[in-house]
Amino acid sequence: MKNPSNIPVKRSHSGLWILIVAAAVLEAISCLQYFYSRNAIRLEAEQRAQSELRRAELEINTVTIEMEAATKMLVTLAERYIDNPDSIAGATRTLLQTIDNVSSAGIACEPNLFPKKGRWYEICSSRETKDGQPYIYTRQIGGEHHDYLQTEWYHCGLSIDSCWWSEPYYDNSGAQAMIVSCTHPIRNKQGQVVAVACVDLSLAYLQGVSEYLKIYQDSYYCIRSGKGQEIVTGDDTIPGRKYQIFDEFIDKTGWSISIVIPEDVIFAELNRIGMIVGILMLLGLALLVFIMWHAGKNVLQLIDSTARNQRMENELHIAQTIQKAMLPNVFPPFRDRLDLNIYGMVNPAKEVGGDLYDFYIRHDKLFFCIGDVSGKGVPAALVMAMTRSLFRSISSHEDRPEVIVSHMNKALTDQNTENMFLTLFIGVLNRDTGELNYCNAGHCAPVLISGQQATIHELELIPNLPVGIMEDFWYQGQKTTLQHDDVLFLYTDGLTEAENNRHEQYGEQRMMAQLQASACGWRPRTIADRMEADIRKFVGGAEQSDDLTMLVIRYQTPAIIMRNDIQQIPTLAEWVDGLGLPDELNMPVNLALEEAASNVMLYAYPDGKGDVIIEFSRINRDGHEGICFTISDRGVAFDPTKQAEVDTTKSAEERPIGGLGIHLVRQLMDELSYERIDESNVLTLVKMLSC
Amino acid sequence: MTTEIKENGNQLIAVFNGRLDTAAAVQAAEDVKPLLEAQNKEIILECEALDYISSSGLRIFLGIRKEAAAHGSKVIVRNINSNIRQVFVMTGFISLFEIE
Repeated sequence: MKNPSNIPVKRSHSGLWILIVAAAVLEAISCLQYFYSRNAIRLEAEQRAQSELRRAELEINTVTIEMEAATKMLVTLAERYIDNPDSIAGATRTLLQTIDNVSSAGIACEPNLFPKKGRWYEICSSRETKDGQPYIYTRQIGGEHHDYLQTEWYHCGLSIDSCWWSEPYYDNSGAQAMIVSCTHPIRNKQGQVVAVACVDLSLAYLQGVSEYLKIYQDSYYCIRSGKGQEIVTGDDTIPGRKYQIFDEFIDKTGWSISIVIPEDVIFAELNRIGMIVGILMLLGLALLVFIMWHAGKNVLQLIDSTARNQRMENELHIAQTIQKAMLPNVFPPFRDRLDLNIYGMVNPAKEVGGDLYDFYIRHDKLFFCIGDVSGKGVPAALVMAMTRSLFRSISSHEDRPEVIVSHMNKALTDQNTENMFLTLFIGVLNRDTGELNYCNAGHCAPVLISGQQATIHELELIPNLPVGIMEDFWYQGQKTTLQHDDVLFLYTDGLTEAENNRHEQYGEQRMMAQLQASACGWRPRTIADRMEADIRKFVGGAEQSDDLTMLVIRYQTPAIIMRNDIQQIPTLAEWVDGLGLPDELNMPVNLALEEAASNVMLYAYPDGKGDVIIEFSRINRDGHEGICFTISDRGVAFDPTKQAEVDTTKSAEERPIGGLGIHLVRQLMDELSYERIDESNVLTLVKMLSC
Repeated sequence: MTTEIKENGNQLIAVFNGRLDTAAAVQAAEDVKPLLEAQNKEIILECEALDYISSSGLRIFLGIRKEAAAHGSKVIVRNINSNIRQVFVMTGFISLFEIE
C-alpha cells in the first residue's frame, strides 16, 4: 500500500517556492518604486527649495537695495546740509518718515566736525512707541558712553567708498534691537569724508520677510552674514539626524541663505506610504499562504479521501465476495438426491446488502430461509451475516420453523443496539411427504406455483412481527403440503419495488404475470433468470435502489443422474418405469431420453468424465397435461437440435448409418429445445398427454 | 440382452432377446459379425423376444442389411412387437426391411 505521507512534503516544498518567488517579486517592485519615488521627491524638494531661495534672494535684494538707496538718499541729504548739524538731524528724520523699512537712521560725524557740538556728534532717528502711538525719536547719541569712533561700522563706513553692510549687532543706542547697518561716507563740499551715514535694518523685519522659506513643517532656514554670523537664526541641528541643505549666496551683502530640511521630513510621506505598502505586502503574502495552505489541505483531503475510497472499495469488494460465499451458490446443490431443484440469487444494490437466503438438508428435511434486513450497505450486511449464522446454528437442533424464528428473534433483539430489524421466512420441507412447515416474520408472501395445475397463489400467512423488534414475541408456524412439481417462489421486496426512471414500481401484478408464464414447467433457474430479465427490461437504465433476492425451490420427482458412460443407460429404463407414466408412453419416453442422453455421452465430455442429469416434471398448458424432461450436462457446448434432419425415404444403400438418434427424439416428443445456461447444456423435451 | 446366431440350412437366424439399447448394442454388434460375412444366405432377425430397440440397435440392423445386399443375401425381420414397429415406422426402416 502507498504511503500517503510523501504527498504533504512535496506540497510544502512547492508552496515554499511559490511564496519565496512571490515575496521576491513584490519586494523588487516595492524597492524599485521606493527609489524612483525617493528621487522624485528629493528633486521636487530641491526645486521647491531653490525656487523659494530665489524668491528670498530677490526679496532680500529688494530690501538691501532699498536700504542702500535709503542710505544714499540720506548721504545726498546730508551732503547738502553738511554745514548745519540741525539740518542733517532733520535729514535722518525725513528718511524714517519717507521709508518704512528703515528702523533707524543716523549720521556719525568726524570728531569735532561741529566744534559747538563737541568731539562726538552722532545724530540718530529711530522709531519709538509712546502711549500706543508710533513716533520718530531724533537725538544726538554720540558721547563718551557711545564712542562710535571706535566701532567697526564707522571705520568701514569712512574708508569704503560705497555701501557697506555690517555684521548683525545689538544696537544699544538707537534701535535697541538686533540690527544690521548699511553705511556710506558723507563728504563736504570739498570732497573730504567728514561723516558716515548709517541706516539700520531690523533683523526682526528680515525674519518676517523670509518666513516662507520654511517650506516644510519641520524644516527651517537661516541667513548668515559673510563672516558666518547668523542674521536670521534657525533651529539647532540634531546630531545623527540627516539633513538636506540648500544654499543661496547674495552677492551684494555677502550673506548666504540656507534651507535646512531633515531627510526624514522630506521622505516622511514616502516612508509612510512605504510602510503601508509593506504592511499590505505582508498581508498579501499572508493571504497567499492561507490560500495555499487551504487549497493544499483540500487537495490533500481529496488525495486522502480518494485513497481511502479506493481502500474502502477494495474492502467492500472483499466483503461482497465473502458475503456471496456465505450463501449457497452451487447449483444444483444436492447431487445425491435430486428431488429438489433449487436456485437462489442476490443482486445487492450496493457492494454488500442486507438480503439473504440459505438452505441445507438435515435428516431428509430441507431447511431454507429468505430474509431482508432493514437498510442497506455494510450495517445491513453485518446483521445479515449474523442472521445467517443464527439460522444455521439454531436450526441444527430444531425442526420447527416457528421455534427457530423465535430463538433467532430473541438473539437478534438482545444484541440490537441500532434498532435494525429484518423480515424473515423460514421453511422446513419434508422431502418424503412434501409437508412444508413454515413461519413468516413479516416477509412478503412466497408464491406457490403448482406445476401440475399451472396455477399460482400466495402462501397463506399469519401476520407475525419482523425479527428484532420485540424480544418476547412468540412466532406462530403454519403448514401446507407440496405436490411434486410445485415451485415455491420466495423473494424480497427489492423485486416488487424495483423502480424505473419514472419512479414506477415493478409491482406485484407484473411479478404474478411473469410467474404465471413460468408455470408451464420452467425450472427454478429459468424462472429466476427470466424474472430478472423482465425486471431489467422494466427498470431500464434506472439505478437499482434495493437489494434483489430470489429463492426458487421445486419439489419434484427425483431426477436421475448418470455418469458419462453408456453402460449407465439401462438405469434410465428403471427410472422411467418408476415415473408412473401411462404404459404406452414408457417406451417412447425411454427411447427419446436414451437417444438424447447417449448423444450427450458421445459429444459433451471429450475427456470422458461428467454427469448427465434428467429431471422430470408434469406440466399443464392451457388445461392440457404434459410431461417435461430436462437433460442437463456441464460438458462442452453442444446443441443437438442443430443436427441435420434424416431423410427416411432413402434406400438402404443410400442411408447413412448415423443420425437416427435425434430424429427419433423429434419423432417421439412434441417439443425439443436447447439452452446453454452458464456452463451447462440444457435440453428440454416436452410431450403433451391429452389431445 | 443376448444375441444368438443359429444356422438352419441356407438360413442364418439371429435371435435377439431383451432390450437392445445403447449399452447392449456394443455386445450385440460383436455378436452379429458372422451375419455380415454370409454369402447368398437368408438372414432372419428373430425379434419375438426383443423388447426394445434404440437407434444403436437400428444401426446394427442397417449394417446387416447393407452387408447382405453386398453379399447377395436377403434379410427378413420377424415378429417385431408394436413398440419396435412404431420405431421402424418413424425411422422409415419399415420400408427397408422385409418384415414377417
